[in-house]
Amino acid sequence: MSDLTALQLIQRVIAKSGAQGRPQTVDFVSAGDPTSAVNGIAVMGQASLEGLRQAAAAKANLVFTYDPAFWATGDNLTRMETDALFLEKRAFIRAHDLVVFNLHDHLRDAMPDRIAAGMGQALGWQSDTANVNLFRRPPTNLLALAQELSAKLDDKTLRVVGDPKLAVTTVAASFGNTQQLPAIALLNGPADVLVCGYAHEWEVVEYAQDMISVGLKKGLVLLGENASVQAGMKSAADWIKTVVTEVPVTFISLPEPYWIL
Amino acid sequence: MTKLSRRAFAATSLSLAATAPAKAAPALTVRQVLERMHGQIGTPWTERGVDRIIVGDPDTLVTGIGTTMMATFDALKAAVAAKCNLVITHEPTFWMHEDDVTQLQDDPLYKVKLAYMKAHNLVSFHFHDHWHAKKPIDGIHQGMADRMGWSRYLKNPYDRHIDLPPTTLGGLAREFQKKLGNRTLRVVGDPGLAVKRIALSWGNCSLLPGAPYLNSDCDALVIGECQDWDLTAYAQDLVTAGRKKGLIVLGHILSEQWGMDYAATWLRGFVPEVPVKFLPLAEPYWNLKTKWTFEIIVRVSP
Repeated sequence: MSDLTALQLIQRVIAKSGAQGRPQTVDFVSAGDPTSAVNGIAVMGQASLEGLRQAAAAKANLVFTYDPAFWATGDNLTRMETDALFLEKRAFIRAHDLVVFNLHDHLRDAMPDRIAAGMGQALGWQSDTANVNLFRRPPTNLLALAQELSAKLDDKTLRVVGDPKLAVTTVAASFGNTQQLPAIALLNGPADVLVCGYAHEWEVVEYAQDMISVGLKKGLVLLGENASVQAGMKSAADWIKTVVTEVPVTFISLPEPYWIL
Repeated sequence: MTKLSRRAFAATSLSLAATAPAKAAPALTVRQVLERMHGQIGTPWTERGVDRIIVGDPDTLVTGIGTTMMATFDALKAAVAAKCNLVITHEPTFWMHEDDVTQLQDDPLYKVKLAYMKAHNLVSFHFHDHWHAKKPIDGIHQGMADRMGWSRYLKNPYDRHIDLPPTTLGGLAREFQKKLGNRTLRVVGDPGLAVKRIALSWGNCSLLPGAPYLNSDCDALVIGECQDWDLTAYAQDLVTAGRKKGLIVLGHILSEQWGMDYAATWLRGFVPEVPVKFLPLAEPYWNLKTKWTFEIIVRVSP
């Protein structure tokens, strides 16, 4: 065990992130005692119970997670006080002296965006020099693009809007959750396809459908949240290893949540 | 904005009433259809919420009514093809729950869609909150239960639980796929999980009320849509913790649209003057496992 506390390591990672803090941020300690001594760091897409078990098994008690441990942006706990699963998860965190820190905004706001950069790296795609979220691809089509994403991100449950034969040379990415107005701007930009983690099926999905319905040559791929950020967190773990050398840093890969028929 | 336009509409309504007798065919306006709906819904009509005319004039003469899950461009084309100029839509016309178009004034697709609706004299009415609030039973719940062949299992209209003949989580998923034509539904949990009692939350379902539903006396929760880091993650953690539970995510449109088929049936009961048609939508997605299909109903140049 090191003499370093979770708080010291969190502060170091934030200081080295290169990102300005947001006035309102989701990056905070959502569970655990930040004065705990750290014997290892675990990095994952979402601090699921399975992810926390693997962290504890790896003797890593400081957890950096992209998505919240308590199932909602901002980990709103007041409404979960009587929830049996919440109490069980918190008891597990306490029993293993885990400290869970949401590391989201400081990755996305880095220059370049560490999630996007890591995803591009995992895909082996060269991004536009000016825009880490824009990729020029050798000519392909929407079906082949979906197959490539599925294979490289181990994503069996991705969903696609658009003509499978759509010609694709330019891909815009909005990894993770995509908001309606930024996604609309990306769909109206030079990209043939927008690749994202999740978008509401009463907003961006229908906007893309309507573009296609009026004859515009566009497509939309929904990877699912896990597949759309996980490789970014793996790359974040590699970066954290360069910042924290005193304790082991382990990336924990989680399977996609769903199965399909 | 709503108040101002209502006043303006009242003025036009008066002038129209004066000229109406000159017309040979009985003239049915959008306003009259909506007033009849107010009387039939079984619950007080309120101006709160999202239910309102999104595009068009309430004094437009109705040639036919098309009910649909979402007024997508495809749905509008289908309405025009079916000669229905009043589109009653459960979900928005302009890609957000409140149909707030202030940020879309320069959006090219918004302009094209609006121009198409004006050119075809279309009126879209957002019929979300009141259809869910319908008494004695939520119209979406009734229509979906009808489609699934489960109406006989609806014991209490306010209960979201249904007891089914024993099946498994995988069997239930296949039944949804068969009856809703769903290619891309997604499931959390053991496919072999024994399922007898389910909770239903058609459409979007977040952590609340999703978590209490999952923890209620049921084997599986069936929803239309949620965010992966929210209810899906909760369901995953429940399964990891050893609870015998499953979650089926149908997709938003397919999880509710037969409720709008029931809306067409309901409207026919008190709007006999014009045809009322349900305009079904294709599932928006394909995936790599089920054989991909890509449907667009009709193509027109904008």
